Amino acid sequence: MNTRLLMTLRVTVASPQNIGLVPHGTRRTAPITGGDFEGPRLRGTVLPGGSADWLLVRADGVLEMDLRVTLRTQDGAIISMKSFGLRHGPQDVIAAIGRGETVDPALYYFRTTPRFTTGHSAYTFLNRLVAVATGDRRPEGPIYTIHEVL
Amino acid sequence: MNSRPLMRLRLETAPTEEIGGLSIFPVSGGSFEGERLRGKVLAGGGDWVTTKPDGTFELDLRATLETDDGALIHLTFTGVRDDEHHYLRTLPRFETAAPRYAFLNRLLAVGVGDIRPDGPVHVIEEIL
Repeated sequence: MNTRLLMTLRVTVASPQNIGLVPHGTRRTAPITGGDFEGPRLRGTVLPGGSADWLLVRADGVLEMDLRVTLRTQDGAIISMKSFGLRHGPQDVIAAIGRGETVDPALYYFRTTPRFTTGHSAYTFLNRLVAVATGDRRPEGPIYTIHEVL
Repeated sequence: MNSRPLMRLRLETAPTEEIGGLSIFPVSGGSFEGERLRGKVLAGGGDWVTTKPDGTFELDLRATLETDDGALIHLTFTGVRDDEHHYLRTLPRFETAAPRYAFLNRLLAVGVGDIRPDGPVHVIEEIL
């Protein structure tokens, strides 16, 4: 698999809404309050409205993440990003993340697969690519290092 | 990003209906092989392919795999097919109840695809 860095995306997350144990697992919604992104071909900020990470802790302990974020580039393009991801690791590591500690991302698996939609002519290349990302769950919010799959 | 080979997946498909920009390709068979698992693709799945205004295709496949030791695996993927740029990339996901293959439930993967005369072939790697 050949990849090329697309951007680093940082988001800030508000306190989660704990919906609780639903038939599929434990449902939690994490609203996104802001953020920014930067890469060789694009940079800008995260628009908080409609941006959140819809989370589900599965019976096998794996966290499924359904992230949707609206991005605005510095030249005014609006980009919708949707990204499905998985997060899992040793119990004590995951617990430390849950307590808001800074944990070495190499100790857990936090991987996502972003897709993009935009109508802005300078960024239509995003519509045609598939991306993969590594997540680093900092206390204030995750940092995603996103690579385009070539 | 680091990856590790998972499987080479060969699908047998045939077009059926064109429904105003949606093309449905039933999966009639196929095979997969890799170091950790191998077997056949069962009939009954399909790829729901949407033609987008820019001429690219959005893929939406579901299929059932059966390993040579009898485990069933539910495979889905979404992806992009852009013929102008010779780009066919998918994001496979797996679900299985077989303990031997439970590792598939916990990984994300990327597929690099190629349309051959007898059907698509996807080289799928695990994202490490």
